[in-house]
Amino acid sequence: MEFNGQVFALMGAAMAALAGIGSAIGIGIAGQAASGVVSEDPNKFGQVLVLQALPGTQGIYGLLIAFIILLKVGLLGGGLVDISVSQGAYILAASLPIGLVGIFSAVAQGKAAAAAIMLVGKKPSELAKGMIFTAMVETYAVLALLISFLMINSIVL
Amino acid sequence: MATVELSKISVIGLNDHKPQILKGLMDLGVVEINNQDGKLTDEEWSPLVEKDGDEVTVNSLDTKISEASNALDALNKYDKGKKPFIKVRKPMKESEFEAKLKNRDVIEETVADVNGIYKQITRLKNEENKINTAIIGLKPWVQYDLPLDMTGTRFTSIVIGTVPATAVVEDVERAVSEKSQGAVVYKVSSDEQQSYLSVVCLNEEKDEVLDVLRLNNFTPIAFNEVSGKANENIVKFEKELEEIKKNILNLEEQLSQMAVNRADVEMLHDDYIIDRDKAKILSNIVKTKTAFYFDGWLPKAKEDDVKKVLEENGCFYDFKTPEKGEEAPVFLKQNAIVEPFEAITNLYSVPSVNDIDPTPFLAPFYFIFFGMMLSDTGYGIILAVGCFILLNRFRLEGMLKKLVKLFMFCGISTAFWGVMFGGYFGDFIPVAAKTLFNKDIVVNAVWFNPIQEPMTLLVFSLILGAIHLFVGMGLKAYILIKDGRPVDALCDIFLWYVLLIGLVLFGIGESVGLASVGKYMSIVGAVGILLTAGREKKSIIGKLLGGLGSLYGITGYLSDVLSYSRLLALGLATGVISQVINTLGSMAGGGIGGAIVMLIAFVIGHTFNLAINVLGTFVHSSRLQYVEFFGKFFEGGGVAFNPFNKKTKYVEIIKEEK
Repeated sequence: MEFNGQVFALMGAAMAALAGIGSAIGIGIAGQAASGVVSEDPNKFGQVLVLQALPGTQGIYGLLIAFIILLKVGLLGGGLVDISVSQGAYILAASLPIGLVGIFSAVAQGKAAAAAIMLVGKKPSELAKGMIFTAMVETYAVLALLISFLMINSIVL
Repeated sequence: MATVELSKISVIGLNDHKPQILKGLMDLGVVEINNQDGKLTDEEWSPLVEKDGDEVTVNSLDTKISEASNALDALNKYDKGKKPFIKVRKPMKESEFEAKLKNRDVIEETVADVNGIYKQITRLKNEENKINTAIIGLKPWVQYDLPLDMTGTRFTSIVIGTVPATAVVEDVERAVSEKSQGAVVYKVSSDEQQSYLSVVCLNEEKDEVLDVLRLNNFTPIAFNEVSGKANENIVKFEKELEEIKKNILNLEEQLSQMAVNRADVEMLHDDYIIDRDKAKILSNIVKTKTAFYFDGWLPKAKEDDVKKVLEENGCFYDFKTPEKGEEAPVFLKQNAIVEPFEAITNLYSVPSVNDIDPTPFLAPFYFIFFGMMLSDTGYGIILAVGCFILLNRFRLEGMLKKLVKLFMFCGISTAFWGVMFGGYFGDFIPVAAKTLFNKDIVVNAVWFNPIQEPMTLLVFSLILGAIHLFVGMGLKAYILIKDGRPVDALCDIFLWYVLLIGLVLFGIGESVGLASVGKYMSIVGAVGILLTAGREKKSIIGKLLGGLGSLYGITGYLSDVLSYSRLLALGLATGVISQVINTLGSMAGGGIGGAIVMLIAFVIGHTFNLAINVLGTFVHSSRLQYVEFFGKFFEGGGVAFNPFNKKTKYVEIIKEEK
């Protein structure tokens, strides 16, 4: 097998899926805080679970871009399309925003979520505000997702 | 406007009539009684009045309330009957409530019994734990056939204890026998952490042997509370355990049989709460020897009802319209369609007296945004139907009812946008048809498919966002004009409208020949802002700098509008993840096996996707309201109207016409 654009394209898909690293770390951080709060008051399980889930979206966005790349290069259904090296490199470049922003923003969001969980521990009625603080971080993952998606969408194979 | 007009009420009455008056007001449940602490420090008032209050009654009722709720917790724990999915208050007529509480002595006794039994269970469980710990401590010594409390014979000493598992027992043995020929080290057992040793030596060598042992990390163990061999003790303990377990089961059975009394205890609990609140409100009242005074708030429309109660009891009273800017509680009331969206407003903050209620304005946008972000017909129907069933099956109240209703509405919107964008559990229909029946079905979007035409949806999202922001700015202008500051409205809002619309026209108006109009609008707007935004500053330089600073705020509008791109991004997330799920489901191919795999992937995958995306959608559509929309005009920080009424937990007491 020769070295061609497909290698780059698959590296792109892999890169996008790496956003899951951030989500895993973020959810882990939030989970530690969540366990602390639940140890004081088990009834808050539902509330803190919602907050813990918030940093998980970056992983999903990464999966989303990875999936679109796989569809585009024909790895899912149909055979692999012929891709030139530069086309493959385009795809790799397009995967960078969500891959990188996903990792870092999910970690940051996990910290914000942990703080929000502490907030709920002290003032259960302020769940919505905690959610908003946490979601403020996610904006940038959403923007990165958008850029990755628009880039891939406009690459012609 | 959706805030109810409140009037301020002041009441003076005789102390003798106070209980009837408070009862009457509580039954009406429309008057909020203010804290009168201000009066107590006021020079005119303080010589005349003192604070009313009945701390003793409040405290004793609080104790009773906590006893009753402890009893309810205990009953709940051991109730074998079916528990409702959502706990709601039970409606009950006032006469029925009172009739059932006639035998309150019996109910009080039940509470005491339940708490007593529960205490016993806790005590027995502690004992059980203690015995279990003791058994674990004895387990390693089962093979040791001397009594554990035996410390020696006439000439020999016996020491038992442990060394860490890392120590080699043979080394210990050797070290000991170097010191004392007669000493015997016997390894009883070992586990991952420790080896359990028994050492026998002559009395006179005991100290030396112990020294050697200590050097080898030996820790002696003394069993003070047991006598006899380990396995004899274990047998004895196990018998005790069995006995305890039997007792616990017995007590638990008693509790679960008492669970039929739960409804009674709940009523008693609520009755205590009513009495407690009546005693507690006294601390918001000031009194003299014979009379009392309080003031508070009530909805203007309810004045007549309150008048009747007060006149019946011979009170002096006065209704006043609050002055402008006076601190007053805020009472929101919406029509049935907008009402659920009040939850979104309240989750942020109750509007202040100076605010307008944003609920009717955010409602249509929230509805549209939520639908666009979730945008799947299948999900929408599940959400709407699920919430509809919840609403009909349970008598929900308050915030929960509003939220469930909100999600029902949003489900409808989701289904609508799903049809528009062609999402029916993603692309499930064509995938299933292709995989299982080998047929090509094309499900067309009524409008367009955002995965294929993302730019169209992006532009549409940004336009919606611009409209949302413009409405927010319009509301700010309305508030300014209402406050008598039309110049501010003109300079701070209208000029921005001119500039922003002008810029948009300048950018994209070429095709319709409006680009030059846009250019001049932009210039007029920008120059206007530059000249007017610093109008409150004193020096010329200050004015100019203020203008420049304000003009720089245009970047804020840019980021606000771009924020609405999340409408596209989250819509894509739902759609593409659905696709992923359907693709996974189709991987096993056709046939019965394939259908089963597809079904499993469908149920698990779409449940997950629905849950995570409803959460995300809720958060992000709220955020667009809170950050982008509210930021333009809303202050918040108000205090919600909180009338003096029956704040019961389990029973909703329904008033009867006399």
